[in-house]
Amino acid sequence: HNFSFFLSFFLFLGGKYDYDLVVIGGGSGGLACSKEAAQFGQKVAVLDYVDPTVKGKIKIWGLGGTCVNVGCIPKKLIHQAALFGTALKDAKKYGWQISEPVCHDWATMMEGVQNHVRSLNWGHRVQLQDKKVKYLNFKGSLVDEHTVKGLTKAGKETILTAKNIVIVTGGRPKYPTNIPGAVEHGITSDDMFWLKKSPGKTLVVGASYVALECAGFLTGIGLDTTVMVRSIALRGFDQQMAGLVTDYMETYGTKFAWKCVPKRVDKLSSGALQVTWTDTQTGGEHQDTYDSVLWAVGRAPETKALGLDKLGVKLNQETGKIVLATDESTSVPNIYALGDIGEGRPELTPTAIKAGKLLARRLAGQSAELMNYDNVPTTVFTPLEYGCVGLSEEEAEKRHGKDNIEVYHAFYKPLEFTVAERDASQCYIKVVCKRFGDQTILGLHFTGPNAGEVMQGFAMGFQCGATYSHLSQTVGIHPTCAEEVVKVNITKHSGLDATVTGC
Amino acid sequence: TQHNTRGLPQGRQPENRKHAVIGFLLTLPFPVRPTHTPTSFLVMAVFTQHGSIRRNMASDRAASQATRFDFLVIGGGSGGLAGARRASELGAATAVIESHKLGGTCVNVGCVPKKVMWNAAVHAEYLHDHSDYGFDTGNVRFSWETLKAKRDAYVSHLNRIYRNNLDKAKIQTIQGHARFTNDPEPTVEVDGRKYTAPHILIATGGLPSVLSDAEIPGANLGITSDGFFELETLPKRTVIVGAGYIAVEMAGILSTLGSKTSLIIRQTGVLRNFDSLISANCTKELQNTGIDLWKNSQVKSVCKSEKGLEVTIVTKDPEKKNDEEKTSTIQEVDCLLWAIGRQPNISGLNIGGVDTDERGHIIVDEFQNTSRPGIYAVGDVCGKALLTPVAIAAGRKLAHRLFEGKKDSKLDYSCIPTVVFSHPPIGTVGLTEEEAIKSRGKENVKIYKTSFTPMYHAITSRKSQCIMKLVCVGKEEKVVGLHMQGLGCDEMLQGFSVAIKMGATKADFDKTIAIHPTSSEEFVTMR
Repeated sequence: HNFSFFLSFFLFLGGKYDYDLVVIGGGSGGLACSKEAAQFGQKVAVLDYVDPTVKGKIKIWGLGGTCVNVGCIPKKLIHQAALFGTALKDAKKYGWQISEPVCHDWATMMEGVQNHVRSLNWGHRVQLQDKKVKYLNFKGSLVDEHTVKGLTKAGKETILTAKNIVIVTGGRPKYPTNIPGAVEHGITSDDMFWLKKSPGKTLVVGASYVALECAGFLTGIGLDTTVMVRSIALRGFDQQMAGLVTDYMETYGTKFAWKCVPKRVDKLSSGALQVTWTDTQTGGEHQDTYDSVLWAVGRAPETKALGLDKLGVKLNQETGKIVLATDESTSVPNIYALGDIGEGRPELTPTAIKAGKLLARRLAGQSAELMNYDNVPTTVFTPLEYGCVGLSEEEAEKRHGKDNIEVYHAFYKPLEFTVAERDASQCYIKVVCKRFGDQTILGLHFTGPNAGEVMQGFAMGFQCGATYSHLSQTVGIHPTCAEEVVKVNITKHSGLDATVTGC
Repeated sequence: TQHNTRGLPQGRQPENRKHAVIGFLLTLPFPVRPTHTPTSFLVMAVFTQHGSIRRNMASDRAASQATRFDFLVIGGGSGGLAGARRASELGAATAVIESHKLGGTCVNVGCVPKKVMWNAAVHAEYLHDHSDYGFDTGNVRFSWETLKAKRDAYVSHLNRIYRNNLDKAKIQTIQGHARFTNDPEPTVEVDGRKYTAPHILIATGGLPSVLSDAEIPGANLGITSDGFFELETLPKRTVIVGAGYIAVEMAGILSTLGSKTSLIIRQTGVLRNFDSLISANCTKELQNTGIDLWKNSQVKSVCKSEKGLEVTIVTKDPEKKNDEEKTSTIQEVDCLLWAIGRQPNISGLNIGGVDTDERGHIIVDEFQNTSRPGIYAVGDVCGKALLTPVAIAAGRKLAHRLFEGKKDSKLDYSCIPTVVFSHPPIGTVGLTEEEAIKSRGKENVKIYKTSFTPMYHAITSRKSQCIMKLVCVGKEEKVVGLHMQGLGCDEMLQGFSVAIKMGATKADFDKTIAIHPTSSEEFVTMR
């Protein structure tokens, strides 16, 4: 320790470090930051290391972090598989004669998903090489503000010095702490995306977007799936939209145990998991058996091994995340952090990537531009997708007052639902605007097919400061779902029926 | 003259009607071809026989006395209905004259049934990919008959909705073919009854162009897109002529659903008025999906044999001046589809006093005024931006101008987004690269492009590419054009078109946070 301190002091005097930048964490933010820095001629190293999950379903994964290995990418591919479950039913209405029963094979799907994930891991590796970023499969921890200690799996230590250090270690799913059997018998989303065998009848505990997306795709590929919700679904999202998302899931076949909390998990001699829970409304106790129990009760930052306390890097006491300034700097000079590990930062890949690039440019002296964390659009890939940007109706009311906002809304029927005879009761659009003046849009919400693809362009209009009249002056594209956004004309204040009829 | 129908008590209609649709058959703008469009002939015949006879309680008036409205709309399609409904909401006594089914091209023989067919074809593509995603679907067969029945039922449902909407709005529906009279005040006649209004809107739309037997022997053995929607079975062997979006869409649908399809184009690429990247990519995709593309080719003649149609084609590459013209024949064709353009639907209208262009399109100014005061036109009949939402918007803007006193109410025809439901779909808004260079000079145009395999195909053996292009001009890199082809492009375009209409720059694209994982995020992460 003393030696390394001395070393870095010496290097500081000499103005020389091993690297200009050492990035701890090879996820979305870390890779973007390191590649961008290298682009500007900086000497960069990335340390990436993955601890196995508690259940040990996966030992290790490759470069790319949560998004590539246990998040966005496998999630969306399995979501796509689940959409095919519905597409098969629709196809029959479109004149396709398909012999019953249609079976889904988990292993086939997972092989495809994992091959793709591995190809992305490899792609990231190659990109680092191309951009001359040194990749080190080390578990990194901080020694001082210019020194990082890397530990290999075999226990070999390496000391690296750097002018600046960026911590981008992200987060991992949490287990509940006080439920007997939870850790021994349950799995998390990290395991879910690498299961070799179908999870079978599954209980998903939690109602975050991770919980609902997992429950949605399990239902879609034909598994008996129950979501256990303690209080509300999609906290932080517009609650009317959240209601539509879960209503659709209920008609889609996902079961919901509302206002229930799990009490214990026991493994029966058959191997089945018996879950005991309490209905908080009646106080009654219930039991059922499942093949799998998936905990989706939140994510915790990966800070333990970093040695942050020794250096005095300030953490948020409640969340354990690193407290950051607007330029991603921590309380310790030369140490920065971004992505899921940052207090109050959105846990989203694109924000981590953008913030990482901007930080790299600032550290390389190329720009002073700060990351803008406002106007972040997002999409929840539940069976009925939900995309949004800006404020929820509740938040808009809170900030501007109920009488000062105007909500334009529409219940629409996607054309693809008509021939397929699908219920479109939850396909809904809500545009929350300032009520007076030029009716600037405060928030935009959309449930329906392809919500992610629909929302991106509108998020850009929103970023440009779009008003209600900008929407209504844009000619629609017929027949699409997205055109319904520019056609909204019924306000909530009017009390009129918001159902769209005809073209 | 007074608008004596305004404010009539509910239930009292301003005129008495008793009419049949005999005019319809007589005014067909193209020869009826019973041999190849038996269904359409039958439908028309039945329609004519029963007619649409309606009576009401008001007293008879002399036939010569015109029934008076505030707003008279000729054509119950997208533009006419939108204009009529908006006018009625604004208090105008309104009538709509329609010779066929309500809803016009869009609902009956356009966007709606087309997209239903496209959706069915998309399912065919999905079925190829099912096994890659873990579903074992075994043997799959396709029933065109089931699909057509459901599609027709949906279209009829929409027809009913449109009629109900008109009834609810207290808009008079006049069934029949309108013809302008020679009265000094603009007046139309439907089945011997005269109607007039201070504001008359022509929204009669368009029709597929056809070739005569004199131009190409046997041409009338073929059908058009209208006939496509009457096909009772999936053709085994299809020949489509044309390079426009309708030809591309029809070829894609028929080929994907299993018809062996040839596409005959005069030059080397389809969609030639689109950005060259899109034109080239779409031409390539058509071939990738198994469509037999005949470049530099034209149909010379068509004849009928026992086994179907024989389509004779001449091919000549203009670049190879010394090459002989090659003549070939495609045999056993059971569907020859002309998709060579559309023309305004004005025959029988007798619009002598209204200026038209050389192709018969009604000439209007930016406020939809024709050359004759009190007569306006919107939609396909004007020949500009032949799109449902354009007609709807123009109809509504006009209603606001005429009946709400909004003098400046007019549609801005710039930056109109368009989607082609090809495989995969195309989205485009604003200027092509070529147009931007022409208007701003090559040195002021900057192009951003990307192409990638959408994540959907990450685990499928079938692949398709997504291509994207931004056309920017000036120092500030204002985005004046956005062009794309790939999975999901149909739903991606709308939001971007709002931003581009707002004057977005490349920097605005860069400032926008991506939505991951989508294809559309590539637009905001482009370098």
